[in-house]
Amino acid sequence: MALLEVRDLSVHFGGLAAVQSVTFSVEQGERLAMIGPNGAGKTTLFNLLTGQLKPSGGHVLFNGKDITHLSVHGRTQLGIARSFQITSLFPNETVRVNALIALQGTRAGRFRMFGAFSKDRELRNAARDLLEKIDLWDKRDEIVSSLAYGEQRKLEMALSLASEPELLLLDEPSCGLTPTESADITARIKDLGSKITVLMIAHDMDLVFGVAERIILLHFGEITAEGAPDEIRANQTVKDIYMGSHRASTAGN
Amino acid sequence: MATQVKPGVFTGKLFARRAVATAPAERSARAFLPTILPVIVIGVLILLLPTFVPSYIQSLVTKMMIFALFGVSMNILWGFAGIPTFGHAAFFGFGGYCAGILIVHGGVGNFWINLVLAFLLTGLLAAGLGIPAFRVYGVGASDNPIYFLLVTLAFGELLSRVAISARSLTGGSTGLAGIPYPQGVLPGLHINSHSFYFLTFVIVVVCLFLIYRLVNSHYGYALRGIHDNERRMQALGYNTWLYKYTSYIVAGAFGGVAGVLFAYFGGVMVPGNMGMAMTDIVFLIVILGSASIYLGPIVGAIVVVGVEYLASLYVPDRWPLIMGAIIVFVIMVIPQGIGVLLLTGWRRLVRHGAS
Amino acid sequence: MSAGLLAGPTDGVLVSTPGGRVSTFIITTLNGISYAFILFLLAAGFSLTFGVMGVINLAHGALYVLGAYFGLAIVNSLGSFWAGVVVAAVGVGLVGLGIYFFFLRHLYGKVPEQAVLTIGLGYALANIILWVWGPFAKMGMTPELFVGVVRVGDLAFPIYRLFIVGVGIAVLIVLWWMQDKTRVGAIIRAGMDNKEMTRSLGINYGLVSTAVFLFGAALAGFAGILGAPVLGAFPSMGDALLLLTLMVVVVGGTGYIQGTVLGALIIGLVDTFGKAYIPQAALFTSYVIFIVVLLVRPSGLIGRKVF
Repeated sequence: MALLEVRDLSVHFGGLAAVQSVTFSVEQGERLAMIGPNGAGKTTLFNLLTGQLKPSGGHVLFNGKDITHLSVHGRTQLGIARSFQITSLFPNETVRVNALIALQGTRAGRFRMFGAFSKDRELRNAARDLLEKIDLWDKRDEIVSSLAYGEQRKLEMALSLASEPELLLLDEPSCGLTPTESADITARIKDLGSKITVLMIAHDMDLVFGVAERIILLHFGEITAEGAPDEIRANQTVKDIYMGSHRASTAGN
Repeated sequence: MATQVKPGVFTGKLFARRAVATAPAERSARAFLPTILPVIVIGVLILLLPTFVPSYIQSLVTKMMIFALFGVSMNILWGFAGIPTFGHAAFFGFGGYCAGILIVHGGVGNFWINLVLAFLLTGLLAAGLGIPAFRVYGVGASDNPIYFLLVTLAFGELLSRVAISARSLTGGSTGLAGIPYPQGVLPGLHINSHSFYFLTFVIVVVCLFLIYRLVNSHYGYALRGIHDNERRMQALGYNTWLYKYTSYIVAGAFGGVAGVLFAYFGGVMVPGNMGMAMTDIVFLIVILGSASIYLGPIVGAIVVVGVEYLASLYVPDRWPLIMGAIIVFVIMVIPQGIGVLLLTGWRRLVRHGAS
Repeated sequence: MSAGLLAGPTDGVLVSTPGGRVSTFIITTLNGISYAFILFLLAAGFSLTFGVMGVINLAHGALYVLGAYFGLAIVNSLGSFWAGVVVAAVGVGLVGLGIYFFFLRHLYGKVPEQAVLTIGLGYALANIILWVWGPFAKMGMTPELFVGVVRVGDLAFPIYRLFIVGVGIAVLIVLWWMQDKTRVGAIIRAGMDNKEMTRSLGINYGLVSTAVFLFGAALAGFAGILGAPVLGAFPSMGDALLLLTLMVVVVGGTGYIQGTVLGALIIGLVDTFGKAYIPQAALFTSYVIFIVVLLVRPSGLIGRKVF
């Protein structure tokens, strides 16, 4: 049984089909990358998978369970986590509090109305582990909005790992990062281990080919190509649709 | 410390930082004193006050304490959860009416029973109103909460209309009068205006303490997270609707406690206590004092009640006009409130003193 | 007196007929429709600024009252109803201009601030009215042209109320046309979605906004003087009127003037029928509708789908 199964998923905005009959699956431990030109529907598909958006048709199954109409937080409780393309942190809190809040989300006791949150020993230790892993422990008392962009991106990804998910959806994890920072993120994703399955949207081809075992190409809301990295690299359709814009973006880097 | 007090009640985001006391791990004698000291000093001052001021000042301070609680309860929603509500007076007034009706019509003499019943009933009202109210509160609506504002405002007005028409119960537009001072507080203790002062002090301090614990608890931090970034909170596994809904109930219930004290204080409850005018007052208290600080509304209460008193002495019929002018002034000139200014001033003073 | 506001039209000329159930029904319907159009005139200005511009003006009720007082002052001194109408509309329009120019203009997009500020202004305004004109209610004077009743069979209905319905329909047509057909409507809609774009197209969005707000305020003043013979005028009316406005707007939906008139019709008719047929529950019928709509269709019946 695949970890994630997407069957005939569609969503329409007015007359426009943003995502059209998308069907694919992700196996346990797999590293799957989703590529495609801007506006192809990748983030929309992510929003459907995470529950932020409700589909007009189709099904999403997680570990065999139909989660098509499950709430966002419900899916996180089941083991799906997501990072955002536009960094989505708690800008007015410190790095440590960001980590604490993220960690608490899937733990018991998140409704406790007494007992100081910041004193919770278990949480504090977990936060320390999390932050040390991304080398932000020294900055734990800095307000997030004062961090450099690259550091925020690292924290962004770390927060989505806080729930110890089975399936991690990464939306453009290296968006806006310098080549060094991108390489760092790429390494971290590689180190995630086989217990986590990763589905990733990316434009950065180094990241894609460095991490992905399988690649899906999305174009105008439909899957136009699917296969192992080498196959995709050689695929003529892919070259026509996508590699043109890829060349332009690498020129920019 | 790298953290600073961030002003900006209305830069689109109502932001409340962690309460004035610093995080426990960093708590040392140096960090502890500056923040907890003024609170203790003020508390002691309040206790000693009656011995050297005339009774009308005592009465004024009683009113300030009641409105401080009222303001802090509303700030659970405004400042911490980021939920902008304009109907909070509804719970204040409802709590007061509950207490009044229980005594005058229900013959419930015991203060504590009255208080607890009013607390629960007001919470129940909030639970009921919260369901339709949150239907118009989108995700991340602290950025664009128009509908919620309007609906909660409407609810407050609506309730005051109900109070006007339920004449047999509430006394109609003339109000419910004849609420005596609390009875049965302690065996043998007879409450008068003097001892009511201390009773109010105890209740307000206990409630403020409970609210303080609440906003620093796991639940409280979740509320702050929702304020900052609701979408992310959902993605992290939090059932944000449940948090918002329950915070509405808790805030309402504590507002009701303030209302109970108010009913005993004045002896009278009028429908206007639930409507827009009262909401304006508590709102002014919250923003004038700073919604972004836990203690802010307390400062606001002192100022607003004080100014109202002065107005009643010199220009008694013009208080609404003065209040309107103050609201306009605060919004246009010091939207972050004076509490923030006081706090930064105090911190600077401490830093100077320490060095 | 304040309870009387939501108890429905108070213009003494209560229509009475010796008829049975059918006549009562017809009269109640006519009462309901005329009340609904007063509500529509009241809510239209608010709906315009809120639904179209996204600007919240909670002083709206107070502006209506101000219009009534301005108008009545002119009527009492000059004896001319029409002069009163003009002064009411223009006067309140200017007040609205002042509010926009000095305050709201600087709070673009900051909804809680707008709300709080306009509440404060409304509060201050009501107190000023109290100060200048005293606490006692003023009864509006029906202009001679419309005094009297019109008879249909054995039913009698005040002409003035019909006049209000006529005015209401005329205003509805004008606003509807403005919304759908004119450049102004299109500009405002475009500006709501993308302010920068309209600016770059050379359109002075600031000017358009000011004009719309002024118009909305003038409409409130206009409604005030027109409604005076029916609803009367007293300084603290503003709160109840604001509540009615909010109910109309929530039930009908925002963004489209059709929603406002629908909301007004529903609230007006439900309220009037409620009072006529179930006197004890009179107050609650419109509240119940309000809450039901909130639960079932939060965006309003004909609203831009927001929720």
